[in-house]
Amino acid sequence: MRSAFAYTPRPGPLQAASPAAAVAYLGALVVVCFLYSNPIVLASVGLAVTVAGCLAGARTAVGAALRMAAPLALLITLVNPLVTSRGETVLARLGEWPLLGQVDVTAEALAVGAVLGLRAAVAIVAFAVYSACVDPDRVLRALRPLAHRSALTATLASRLVPVAAGDAARLRDAARLRGPGAAAVGRAAMARRLLAGSLDRAVDVAATLELRGYSQRRSPPRRRFVERLWCLERPQSFNHSRYDRRFYAVGAAVLVAAVTGKLLGADAFAEYPAVAAGTSAATLGLSVLLILSGLAPYRG
Amino acid sequence: MAELATPTRSAPALAIESLTYRYPTGSSPALADVSLQLVPGEFALLAGRSACGKSTLLLAACGLVPHFHGGELLGGVQVAGIDSLAAGPGELAMAVGYVAQDPETQVVSTTVAAEIELPLEMRGDPPASRARAVEEVGLALAIPHLLGRAVDTLSGGELQRVALAAALVTRPQLVLLDEPTSQLDPVAGDELIWLLRRLNEEWGVTVLLVEHRLERCLAAADRVIAMDSGAIAFDGRPRDFLAWAQDNDRALETPAARMFSLAGIEPLPVGVRDARQTLRGVGIGHPPYPASRRATDPDPTEPVLKAKDLWVELDPGEGARDVLQGLDLTIHRGERIVLMGRNGAGKSTLLRTAAGLVKPVRGKVATPDGIALLTQNPSDYLVRERVGDELPGDGGLAVLRLVGLEHAADADPRDLSGGERQRLALAIALAGRMDGEQLPGLVALDEPTRGMDRARKDELVALIEELSSRGAAALVATHDVEFAAAFAERVVLLGDGVVIADGPAAEVLSGGWYFATEVARVLDLPGVVTPEQGAAALGGERR
Repeated sequence: MRSAFAYTPRPGPLQAASPAAAVAYLGALVVVCFLYSNPIVLASVGLAVTVAGCLAGARTAVGAALRMAAPLALLITLVNPLVTSRGETVLARLGEWPLLGQVDVTAEALAVGAVLGLRAAVAIVAFAVYSACVDPDRVLRALRPLAHRSALTATLASRLVPVAAGDAARLRDAARLRGPGAAAVGRAAMARRLLAGSLDRAVDVAATLELRGYSQRRSPPRRRFVERLWCLERPQSFNHSRYDRRFYAVGAAVLVAAVTGKLLGADAFAEYPAVAAGTSAATLGLSVLLILSGLAPYRG
Repeated sequence: MAELATPTRSAPALAIESLTYRYPTGSSPALADVSLQLVPGEFALLAGRSACGKSTLLLAACGLVPHFHGGELLGGVQVAGIDSLAAGPGELAMAVGYVAQDPETQVVSTTVAAEIELPLEMRGDPPASRARAVEEVGLALAIPHLLGRAVDTLSGGELQRVALAAALVTRPQLVLLDEPTSQLDPVAGDELIWLLRRLNEEWGVTVLLVEHRLERCLAAADRVIAMDSGAIAFDGRPRDFLAWAQDNDRALETPAARMFSLAGIEPLPVGVRDARQTLRGVGIGHPPYPASRRATDPDPTEPVLKAKDLWVELDPGEGARDVLQGLDLTIHRGERIVLMGRNGAGKSTLLRTAAGLVKPVRGKVATPDGIALLTQNPSDYLVRERVGDELPGDGGLAVLRLVGLEHAADADPRDLSGGERQRLALAIALAGRMDGEQLPGLVALDEPTRGMDRARKDELVALIEELSSRGAAALVATHDVEFAAAFAERVVLLGDGVVIADGPAAEVLSGGWYFATEVARVLDLPGVVTPEQGAAALGGERR
C-alpha cells in the first residue's frame, strides 16, 4: 500500500513546475506561517495550502495531513497551559504538580497553544502538498551539482522508505496467515526480520548502482561554489516548465506582502496578559492575498 | 585517475575462459571450468535445472562476481574486449546490461524516467543526450506512457520493462537476463521474448537469457547452452539441444518435443510453428478428438469457498479501482483448481480476500472450513533463525515431516533452497491444522512455481496431491500453463475481476492461444493439453 504522502505524477502545474519554483511557492507560504502569529493570517495560510493541494490533485495527501495534524494541534493546545501559567483569565487551578509547580490553566495560554498548534498543522499540510506534488528525483537532481553523493544518498533513502513500508505490510499479512501451531510472531521478531530484509534490499541497491556505473561515475568539471550555485539556478532544459514564472511570482508576492504587512502591523497579536488579535486592514488585506495565492496551482 | 577501458565492437560480446568460481560461503564451486564465447549479435538461451549455476554465470559476465560477491575465482571473463577482473562492474556497465529475476530489487529511483536516466548520468552524458536516449529507449520498449509514472505504481510486467530499459539505455553490446518472464502472464511473457528478439535483430544486441520455461523462448534463440552442476553440459543449436535433452535430462524437454518424442516423430520441434510444419510434412493433419479429461464430480457437501457478487476496490497508487467486479465462484472439497488470468486480473486479490486480508466493498466470500494461504513471497513467513523455532513441538515436527523438511529442523531458513523455503512457508501456514477436522478446507497458493524447474514443480504437485488426498481443496494462482495442465482438474480464468472461463482444465487450456499449453497450440484440438495426451492423439492417427 502506498503512503498517502508519496509523490504521484499528475499533469498539473505544481507537478510540472521545476522543483525550485515549487519550493519557492510552498516555501514562501511556510515562511509566512513562521513569521506571523496572528491567527487570521495563519488560518489564511492554512486555507491557501489546502486549496493549493486540492487544486494540484493531492486531496488524499491533504486529508491525511489534516488527520495527522488535528490531534497534534490539539495536543499542543492542551499541553501549553500546563507549562505556562501566564495570562489573566484563569480557567482552572490544578494545584502543585511535580516538576511543573503550581499549574493554573489560563485562557491566554490555551489561545497561544492553539496558535502554535495551528502553525504546526499548516506546516504539516504544506509539507504533505510538497511531498505529494514535487518529484523527489527532480529535487535531488537539481541539488546534485552542489553535493552529488549526498543527493544520491537522499534519493536512495527516499526510495527505500516506501519499500520498507511495503515490506512491513507484507510481513504483517504473512504473520496473520500463520497456522495456530506455528510460533507466534512478536514485535521483536518482526522488527529483526524487517531490518534483515532492509539490509538485503540495501545490498541489492548497492549491486544495482555498481551495474549502473556508479563506481566509475565521471565527475563533472570542478567549479567554484558560486559557479555551482549558478548551475543550480539554471535548470536543465527538461527540468523546468512554463508554470515556473507563475510560482516564482506568487512566491515572491507572498514574501513581499508578508514583509510589508509585518512592517504595517498586520501581525498584531498580543498573547499576555490578555489575548488580542489585530483585525486591521493590513491584516485582512494580507489574508485575502494569501488565500488567493492558494489558487496558483489552478490549471486554467 | 586511470583511463577507463572501452568496449571493442569487433571483440566477442562475451568470452569466458576456464572459469571456476566458489562463493565465499560455498562448499563446492558454483561454476566449474566454464568456457564460452558469444559472438556479437547472437541470441543465446542458458538452460538448466535450479541451482545449476546459470545465475552465477550471468553475475560473472556482468562483473558482480567476484567484485561484489567476493569468493574465489580462477580463469578469465572478457566482455566486448574488456577484462572483467581488471575492470569491475562499474566499468563493464558501458558494455553489458543486466536484468535480474525480480525487477523490484533493481529499482533505485522514484520515477521511471529518473530510473532509466541514471546510468547515463553516471556515465557523464550531457542532459540533452540523456533526454534523447530515455525517449528512444522508451519508444523501443513501448513504454513512453510510463516515463512520468512513479515506480511503485507499476505492475510486475511494467517494472520488468523499465528494468530492461535501464539496462539497454546505454546501448550495451551484451544484455543478460535472469528469468525475465517468471512474473509475467503468458501474454506479457511472449511479448517480452519477441521484443528481445527484435532488439537483437535491429540493434545487434547480443542476448544471453536464462529461462526455465523453454517452450517460451526456444524458437527465438540462435543457440542453447545447458548447464549441469556448474559446468556446461551442452552448447549448440536449439534442435540439437532437444535431442540432447531427450537423452540426458528429460526435465529440460519442451512439451511439444516431449509429445513428438513419445509419439516417435522426428525431428523434434523448437516451437509451435516448427511442430506444425513437421506434422504437415509427415502427413498428420487432424488427429482424432480424444477423450477429454473431466473434472471430478464436486463434493455434494457444503463448499469450502463461496464467493457471491464479490467487489473489491484497491488503490495501487493511480487512483482507486475495482479489482474484483461482482465475482462469483464456488469450490468444493478435494478439487484441484488453477486460477489464471493476465497480470492485474484479480487473482491475488481474490486469494487475499478469501483469506481475510482484504475487505470486500460489496458481496461476500466465505471459507467455512478455513483457508491456508501461501502468498507470492514465501520468505515473508520466515522470521526466525532456525527452522525448528518456526514450528515448535511435536506438532511442528509432524508438519515438517509432511513437507519433507524434518531433516532441516536445525537449519537457518535463509540457507534453504527456494523450493525448500516455499515448503517451509506452507508448513507454517498449515501448522496446527493438520489433524482431522482442523485441516483447512482450502489450501491456496499464489504463484508458487516462480523460478522452479520441472523437477521442483513435480515435488510441489506431489505435496498438493497429498493435501488433496486428506480432503482439502487446492487453489493455485499461476501464469504457468504447463504446470496448470499437469496439476489441475479445473481452471478458472479471470479477466478484469470477473470469471471469464471456468471448466475442466483440458477444455479451458485447449480453447485459446495465450492461455493454452504448447501442445494445445500445436494440435489445436479440444481437450488435448499435455504431451501424453498429444502423443496419444498423434499415435492414434498414425496407426
